[in-house]
Amino acid sequence: MNGPHIFRDFDNAIRTLKDELLLMASLTRQNLERAMRSLLDRDIELSRVVIGDDSDVDDLEIRVDQTGMEILVRHHPVASDLRLVISSMKISTCLERISDHAVNIAKRSKKICRGPELPDVALVEPLYVMADNLLRDAMISFTDQNIELAEGLKARDKELDRLHKSLIASLSERLEHAEGKAESLLHLIFVIRSLERAGDLAVNIGEDAVFLGNAKDIRHASKKVTKEARIEADE
Amino acid sequence: MATPSRTAVGVENLDFCYGTTKVLKNINLAIAANRVTAFIGPSGCGKSTLLRCINRMNDEIPGARITKGRICLNGTDIHGPKVDVVKLRSEVGMVFQKSNVFPRSIFDNVAYGLRLRGIRDASVIEERVESALRQAALWDEVKDRLQESGFGLSGGQQQRLCIARTIAVKPNVVLMDEPCSALDPIATLKVEELLWELRSEYTFVVVTHSMQQASRISDHTAFFYMGEVVEYGLTQTMFTNPREKRTEEYISGRFG
Repeated sequence: MNGPHIFRDFDNAIRTLKDELLLMASLTRQNLERAMRSLLDRDIELSRVVIGDDSDVDDLEIRVDQTGMEILVRHHPVASDLRLVISSMKISTCLERISDHAVNIAKRSKKICRGPELPDVALVEPLYVMADNLLRDAMISFTDQNIELAEGLKARDKELDRLHKSLIASLSERLEHAEGKAESLLHLIFVIRSLERAGDLAVNIGEDAVFLGNAKDIRHASKKVTKEARIEADE
Repeated sequence: MATPSRTAVGVENLDFCYGTTKVLKNINLAIAANRVTAFIGPSGCGKSTLLRCINRMNDEIPGARITKGRICLNGTDIHGPKVDVVKLRSEVGMVFQKSNVFPRSIFDNVAYGLRLRGIRDASVIEERVESALRQAALWDEVKDRLQESGFGLSGGQQQRLCIARTIAVKPNVVLMDEPCSALDPIATLKVEELLWELRSEYTFVVVTHSMQQASRISDHTAFFYMGEVVEYGLTQTMFTNPREKRTEEYISGRFG
């Protein structure tokens, strides 16, 4: 970790940036958790809270960008400071999108709750647990600069993708004989889709954590390897 | 991304002393031709001393001497027995922190080095003066007052006049010791733009205290600390992911 900056205001600005981002992450996780609880407990009031609270996350995204830009303009950060500002601004975008998915889940939950009881909602909980764990560990990898944890997120997201795929297949099959529950099942499929996207975004946060930690850009790494292998094979 | 370049100035195992005080310790640097290399580091770290070694300006200081190693210009030791110091300094020009315009006309300032080298043909001198002023992006501003005193120019123009005077003799290498420290931001940008444009023809070595300037204008950066080169490499790498902790702490404002 870096020692104190000669110009103390720089440290204050960096601290503000980190605090804003961590607050945003905790609100995002809370929104996701409440959205899921509203679905599992058939709590329409809680889904309304999630939809209302999303604006706090939106405001924080703007604040993180403003703080980041101010640091860039005033302090011209370099090296790990520069990477911290860039990765914070990118992570805030991911968090805002995850919170949007929480809102989407809350909206679908409201609609499902207005319909008949749907026992299938319980199937989604393991997917939520995986997505939330990914998000939690992505943020830990960022705050602790734990590269190993960050690099492991991709493989864990693949497990989440497999579960997502099997749930979609299973619910699609049920749709055929759903009768009065078809609409609710469709909403549930969209919930599953949002959780899968939340997992992807957590992986993106992990990629930013790796960039912060060791300046390596691991985005699209597997595609790059495949492309290089194809070029080699062509040659 | 700049393509690989040959070495213009090679510094090998160099120690340098002022009297008994060693101020440069085992310096090794391969300065790439047709690139801008920045020397950064806190005051007293030896960067200006090394810069002045490259055209033997330190020869003028009593007691100052290289005690180990050598400096080669395009492969030739600059302290070799056959080296003519005056010729060396025309091959390795220098621009200083404060513009040192001579008390002469704008034209004569630029023509000074040419005449010193024995060029007498007026048309050749005229042609070279115009070419140097154009390269220094000063021609349009001074072409109608070439016979006026150089002191009538603004600070930024005076510094570009000094650059024109330096490049008029077509050096291989141009050394610059904080060339923009006395200039306003616009004049600074003009000099920086000039360096960037001219680097296809000259090798620039620039001492600067401005991290932003080093990151803007240079291809390579060397970080000096207490007479040693702590890190030397591509500027982009240095300012995004330095190898050494001391470099990171210095460039990010945590010590120095």
